Amino acid sequence: MSELNVENRAGAVPYVARPRRAAAIDVVAAVVAFAILAALPFLFDSKALLDFVIRCAAFGLFATSLNLLVGYTGLISFGHGMFFGLGAYGFGLLMQRANVSIPVAMVCTLAITAVAAVVIGAICVRLKEIYFAFVTLAFQMLIHSVILSWQSLTGGDQGLRGGIKRPVFWGIDLTNHVQLYIFSCALLVIGLLLMRQIAQSPFGYTLRMIRDNATRASFIGINVWRAKLTVFVLAALFASAGGMIMSLFVSGAYPEFAYWTISGEGIFINMLGGVTTFLGPMVGTVILLILNDTATRLTEHYGLVLGIVILFFALGLRKGLMDFAVDWYRAWRDKAKEQS
Amino acid sequence: MISERGRVPVEEGKMTKTGKPGINRRTTLALMGAGAFTVASPWVARAQAKTIKIGMPTILSGRVAQLGTSSRNAVMLEVEKVNAAGGLAGRQIEMVVRDSKGQPQEAARIARELVNTDGCEIILDGEASSGSFAVHEVARDIGVLCIHTCSEASSLTADPKQHIPNAFRCVRQGIHDSIAGGSYAANIAKAKGLKKWATCSPDYAYGRDTTAEFVTYLKHFAPDVEIISENWPKLFQPDYTETVTKILQAKPQALYSALWGGDLTSYIDQANIYAMFTQMEVFAVNMADYTALTVVKNLPKGIHSGNRYIKTYPATAENAAWGDAYKAKYKEYPTNWSWQNATAVMFLSEAAKKANSTDGKKLAEVLTGLTIKCPFGADGTVTMRGEDRTLVGYAIGWGTTIPNEPYVPEVKSGDWKQIFALEAEWKKSKGYT
Repeated sequence: MSELNVENRAGAVPYVARPRRAAAIDVVAAVVAFAILAALPFLFDSKALLDFVIRCAAFGLFATSLNLLVGYTGLISFGHGMFFGLGAYGFGLLMQRANVSIPVAMVCTLAITAVAAVVIGAICVRLKEIYFAFVTLAFQMLIHSVILSWQSLTGGDQGLRGGIKRPVFWGIDLTNHVQLYIFSCALLVIGLLLMRQIAQSPFGYTLRMIRDNATRASFIGINVWRAKLTVFVLAALFASAGGMIMSLFVSGAYPEFAYWTISGEGIFINMLGGVTTFLGPMVGTVILLILNDTATRLTEHYGLVLGIVILFFALGLRKGLMDFAVDWYRAWRDKAKEQS
Repeated sequence: MISERGRVPVEEGKMTKTGKPGINRRTTLALMGAGAFTVASPWVARAQAKTIKIGMPTILSGRVAQLGTSSRNAVMLEVEKVNAAGGLAGRQIEMVVRDSKGQPQEAARIARELVNTDGCEIILDGEASSGSFAVHEVARDIGVLCIHTCSEASSLTADPKQHIPNAFRCVRQGIHDSIAGGSYAANIAKAKGLKKWATCSPDYAYGRDTTAEFVTYLKHFAPDVEIISENWPKLFQPDYTETVTKILQAKPQALYSALWGGDLTSYIDQANIYAMFTQMEVFAVNMADYTALTVVKNLPKGIHSGNRYIKTYPATAENAAWGDAYKAKYKEYPTNWSWQNATAVMFLSEAAKKANSTDGKKLAEVLTGLTIKCPFGADGTVTMRGEDRTLVGYAIGWGTTIPNEPYVPEVKSGDWKQIFALEAEWKKSKGYT
């Protein structure tokens, strides 16, 4: 499959086999981004800034993984937050009860998430549009209810109590705030790099084709169900990683992590940042968290502020910020070409 | 070589050159010291007069916003008194209150931000349920002095895994209410022959735990009691018709409910339509709180309730004055959360006086086991019990409602000795001790 003439909604170019150089550029960009992030604690003496970036890492991974479904495959999931919650609870429970090291707990949590995602995805991805959205929401509420009800394991609505131990591994001590920050940044950058490779791979362009015309995709021999299920599971894994970062940040796991509002925030982040660019959700995450932190400081009417911003984006702009940025860049480039 | 006086010694016979009378080393040091003092004195003065910031993450929006607003009101009422009396060990208190929207991750973030960015030295945790556990972990992580003021979950302080030297809980507890309620209800059950009971409580940890504990102690004191119907409506459920009719069909002689706030008032309004309160004795642990008492359209006579906050119990002039002062200032009655938050500020004030310091560690040491005078104490005092850093000795009792003020005219006090004895057994049964 060297070339697919996929009609991209966002006006992107058709898929052409990606040169290795492009992947190398991604790797270099990731290393530079990590280096900049890792330098921040040494440039600014602000614990709040580190907290902010850790939260950005958790929600950024979650929102970008949701964009693999929403933006790239056209699967609007209202229940993606269940995997965020599953990651937080899986990791927290393993650390509290199984007495394993952090990397082992992380790998096991990803395995648990993968199994859950395969089962749930196998049912959900057969459905289209609103039916898919509602069934994912139903599964999310099911998992949330299980967390609330299974008190002996999850602590019910009080969450996992007693803190999450963070034993030293490979010389990394996550009880140290700066090390936790750098670890979270590393997970974020690695996660984004992997998702970028998925999005730009032939599989990623297959997803775009399914989004634009699933019937056409199946006619040329693509197993649409399998492709959808694969991306559903992959997205779940990255969302789970986001949940693990959050559980490390708050040293616990709470039912709210698996509640539908987390999925709603994910959708909103995608609206804010835009779904037609890879970094749109990351930009949306930063905007939402700044908006949240600022509005909480200045007013008690956070909901009103957020509602106005949602209306502004949904009715006024009808695009995310990165979509505008890309449009402006293209217009500027075309103009520059004309002038030359 | 320069002499001690700063003059250069000269050899004998040579022209004597007297060193230029100037500033010697001692003078230099003295001047430097004086200069430093002059430059620094405004800073020293400012540091001494510097306000102490106390951070408070709480819920100021959504369905339980009243938790946060009534907590904040009470805190501000007490802080004004403390500041007027000279502050906390001479430092004026500045409160920084933020809305967590009831989300634990936000509660944790805000608590960290309050300490790390806003410079708060003490945290009053006005969070409920999971939010309080999230703030507790922040206190464990960064070591800030933290007083929980709203979370009634017993495990927050009963579970030894939760024990940290810098966290305290200034809140009533479900286990205390259940023991006092079980004892009170058992006496009524024996006197009136109430053997068939039903329960109706919200379907989450607080509702299930409190109900289970109440039933345990009811049966402990009145072994003949039998539960014939259990009902678990969802938290914030709007329609209780199904639950009400199910209970009526079961025909119990008495009903216990741990519903609270808007859920309880909705339930009573809807159950009134079916004349439920004329058909059975009702025990609603959370009824005697102005948030419920003043909102119910037709408050039935004779509902048995634990005290949450009413200004007539404890029946002291101090409590009545406090309730009136709150109402005069905020044009509404205080809530159960209000007295708890006010008590937390009273504890801080007293601890700062004893420690003569606002240092978190010193305050924590003094707070452990501290007894203070308090309008909300069963005997005019309350204690921050040393072993689990939690509030005991607060006024706890049960009585029956009337439709108008004072709403619960006679409250029968719970016996703290009995509560302590049974609480110790409960802790053992849970594996906490």
